[in-house]
Amino acid sequence: MPKVEDRVLLLLSGLGFAGVFLGGFLNFAPNRLASGVASSLFRAPDFEAAAAITGLCGVTLLSFVPDQKLRSYATILAAALILWGSLAGAGRVAALLMPSASPAARVSLGPAFWILMSVSILAIVDAVQRGKFGFFARFGIGAVFCIGFFLMALAGDFDRLSLAREFLDNRSVFLIELLRHIGLVGAAIVFALLIGVPLTMLVSRKKTMAGFVFVSLGLLQTIPSIALFGVLIAPMSKLSEKFPFLHALGINGTGPAPAILALTLYSLLPLVRGFYTGFSEVAMEVKEAATAIGFDARQMFIEVELPLAAPALLASLRVVAIQAIGLASVAALIGAGGLGTFIFQGIGQYALDLVLVGALPVILLALLANLVFETLLGLARRNL
Amino acid sequence: MIELRNVSKNFGGVPAVYDFSLKIESGAFFVLIGPSGCGKSTVLRMINAMIRPDKGEIEIHGQDIHAMEPERLRRGIGYVIQSAGLFPHWTAADNVLVVPRLLKWSKVKCAARLDALVALLRIDPALLDRYPRQLSGGQQQRIGVARALAADPSIILMDEPFAALDPVSRAALQDELRAIHAHSGKTIVFVTHDMDEALRLATRIAVMNSGRLIQTGAPASVLQAPADDFVRDFLGGDALQLRLLDLVPVRSLTKAGKTGTTETIAAEASLKNALNLMLARRRSSLCVKDENGARLGEISLSDIVARHDAT
Repeated sequence: MPKVEDRVLLLLSGLGFAGVFLGGFLNFAPNRLASGVASSLFRAPDFEAAAAITGLCGVTLLSFVPDQKLRSYATILAAALILWGSLAGAGRVAALLMPSASPAARVSLGPAFWILMSVSILAIVDAVQRGKFGFFARFGIGAVFCIGFFLMALAGDFDRLSLAREFLDNRSVFLIELLRHIGLVGAAIVFALLIGVPLTMLVSRKKTMAGFVFVSLGLLQTIPSIALFGVLIAPMSKLSEKFPFLHALGINGTGPAPAILALTLYSLLPLVRGFYTGFSEVAMEVKEAATAIGFDARQMFIEVELPLAAPALLASLRVVAIQAIGLASVAALIGAGGLGTFIFQGIGQYALDLVLVGALPVILLALLANLVFETLLGLARRNL
Repeated sequence: MIELRNVSKNFGGVPAVYDFSLKIESGAFFVLIGPSGCGKSTVLRMINAMIRPDKGEIEIHGQDIHAMEPERLRRGIGYVIQSAGLFPHWTAADNVLVVPRLLKWSKVKCAARLDALVALLRIDPALLDRYPRQLSGGQQQRIGVARALAADPSIILMDEPFAALDPVSRAALQDELRAIHAHSGKTIVFVTHDMDEALRLATRIAVMNSGRLIQTGAPASVLQAPADDFVRDFLGGDALQLRLLDLVPVRSLTKAGKTGTTETIAAEASLKNALNLMLARRRSSLCVKDENGARLGEISLSDIVARHDAT
């Protein structure tokens, strides 16, 4: 019995096989409401199905390869085979099924497809981490996969899948809602910083205030997001009626203003707690030495406290950003727009593929934010 | 000259330093010694205005330190603490040059100063590009001392700088510091609770207890005439006479003449070293040589004993 060198790969390939044999790869339904018929990966043309299965077998075998470098490179290739096989396979099967069906028919992606996607992406992440790839190598690998995906999309490989059709139907508003989503998150982070930084300074100077501030922010954090969005409608519309200039600024009971306010409130606890901890963990003796050497308060902050607290600050900003990206989806409920619009429209119309048009970009945005902050954190930690 | 007049400081109602007066002459190696919590660090930190006294005046070179901007005052005073307190995000070289940089020295002047400090403290130049976490405790403290000396201040404050080091690093840095003091004529105010360290380094000692100054004087005079039982106990009680031997060089009791013994000792070694060697080799006399190895004469056990009977 050969020795297992990478348990993660073995587990992933096992999951992949289980998905292929147990779950439906695609689901064909005559209309949105009918439950439809599942079809397996093996309905796909031989070449694509074979690529996916070969990739899976490759990952299984690679988990026994002792050489780290070889295993990492080969795993990325095998995962690319799985990705291409299942993406192209899904597109082909959809194309085969659809011409014979009515325009109301739906071809949705099934569990086996999503499992194969997850397995191959996780295998790539595992390979990149174990292979200790540098920043540029990681970036390059990510770029190659993204470009490949977009080329397939442009070639029309996915056009018959109902996820792609929902996306194409909403193409004109997609970019607007995506930018709106990013705008909500960005504005909330800016406001959270504007309030959070002075609040951090307050709790750092007056330790007696810390308890009160953290309990209040903690209470805010426990309010369910839908409730907070709803609760803000009444006072915000009252304010808007009372003060016409607020109304002129576009501040109403519904729309972006209460959404940004709610997202800001949710961001405050992780932000202030992270910043407070970050600054209070700068070693006492380093601060004492800096004072004794003749640093004034400004030099102390810029040259000592800020660089030493930077990793903690970035870590809490990462939490804040990822949390806000997720929560902003709910803002669509109070008319603030954003990617949540597609999610709630999809739920309302029982169009699950439309839900994915909103949900998938939210997940990708969160992953992207994570990547950006990981990179910044790496830079900040370089000399610590 | 540093002068403290009737200085008092309370922390939360508890007196840390009480009605404390002290003059430290320029060029002194002044050691403040006392048990933990006696207020010696508080006194040290009042000299560079890190702590402001509740009452009393502190003057440096006849100037009230509180009339000065504290940052300017501190840039003119070197400061070393126990854990070195190096900036973890800067290289050793950047740490050493932090005060010259605050004083806006030119690059050329900084580089020249760095070279001089590396030679003075015998720092391995390869260490200069490393970060503090890549240095041993002894290496870190060497950089810490270099940082304190960097802008060539006339006064250096040291708060138990070598307490956390291993005995070998500690002895090496003590020797380095004593040599630097002897050559530069800087005023060093040094806080410690280690009597042996105090006796090795000090030109003057001040013994503190419970926030008060108990006795000051040259190390030998304090050892010979402790002001009270506290000082006597703190100095080592029964072992006090042995401590005194540590302060006197062999040269002072060397008599010309031939000896039969082959055991030799350096003229600059202390009487304590001589006694130790006599006990170890079971001899009652030793042959004394100078640093070039030339014979100076002999030292005998009876002379060591007689010297103390006389004092």
